[in-house]
Amino acid sequence: MLDRPIESYDSVAAWVAGLKQQWGGDPFAEDPVKPQTLEAFCRFVDKDPDALVAFCFLRKKATGERFASKKRRDELLLKLKEFETAAGRGVEARRRRSHVVSFLSHNGILIY
Amino acid sequence: MEFTEVIGIRRSIRFFDPDRPVEREKIQKILEAMRLGSCAMNAHWLRAIVVHRSELDAETFEKLKLPVAGVVMELAPVQIYCYGDLSVIARDHGKQPKLLIDAGALAPSHGWTHRFVDDFVWPQVLEPLSKNPGYPVAMAFDNGGCATQGLLMAFEEGLGACWTAFNTEVAKEAFGVPDHWVPHYVMNLGYPLESRDAGGQRPRPPFEELYFEGRVGKPFRRDQAVVQELERRNMIQPPAPLPGRTEELRQLARQLGLPE
Repeated sequence: MLDRPIESYDSVAAWVAGLKQQWGGDPFAEDPVKPQTLEAFCRFVDKDPDALVAFCFLRKKATGERFASKKRRDELLLKLKEFETAAGRGVEARRRRSHVVSFLSHNGILIY
Repeated sequence: MEFTEVIGIRRSIRFFDPDRPVEREKIQKILEAMRLGSCAMNAHWLRAIVVHRSELDAETFEKLKLPVAGVVMELAPVQIYCYGDLSVIARDHGKQPKLLIDAGALAPSHGWTHRFVDDFVWPQVLEPLSKNPGYPVAMAFDNGGCATQGLLMAFEEGLGACWTAFNTEVAKEAFGVPDHWVPHYVMNLGYPLESRDAGGQRPRPPFEELYFEGRVGKPFRRDQAVVQELERRNMIQPPAPLPGRTEELRQLARQLGLPE
């Protein structure tokens, strides 16, 4: 699972770069809950951030072309809902889910 | 609001106040505006189903959403699902053009008589059209025009709206949609949480790349005096992104607990 600081993963670096490009500033310093939430989700699904991103993509058998798998994303969405529900209801619980969705979005994966 | 300003202020609004209901009379006005749209042969293929999000069971609503449209649909308290009824022409059998003749819209000066409809328009135009593979395209063009009138009415009434796609199979089952209705889009409707200018008028391709005069390749000359007049009349408005838009988007995301 997580064998090093979460900031050191490529996918997390991509997230930070995306957040900086969109909003400016220093995303994790301004909102340390973001990486903390991702770390909690990684523990919840027993995958590191890069593995989480890789999990959403498959390759076509015929051509080897990489594509975002609907089945895998749906699978992850279920986990995400569980993760959100574990925090209760309302905006705070939703925000918990949204941090993970943001991480995935800035890595090119749309889950909703 | 002036007509030009309604066109100018329309944006695809994606942040709605999820808890503020839309008055029934405003929804009716939108539908009334759709009904008055221009339509070939007075066919009026457009059908719409008004759905209040709060009245749908959660499971169905989850399935209706497509990923890209998910947040918009979730925030909008009302959805108007738009369809085209492919059976109109075959069922009507030329009655609508005759209604237009009787109403004084079509006249013999342009060749329109009941006999012309019976002997030519129905058998040689309308009936073949209804069996032509291009028929749904023609229908969709007119339906888009009618639906846009409803969209503009939403803004006239101080609402915001945004077209999105939806899961048509789920909608068919949930709303009892007949087989001969072709799904178009859903109008997501509600009171905007975004500022009125919603960050400014969206980028568009250059005018000269879109419109031509006489033949393709010869752009329709854009007169800057006309542009300035439309700017004065608030149809052409300051382009996006306006200062403060990034902060507004972030504030909205945080307020609603959405991803950043």
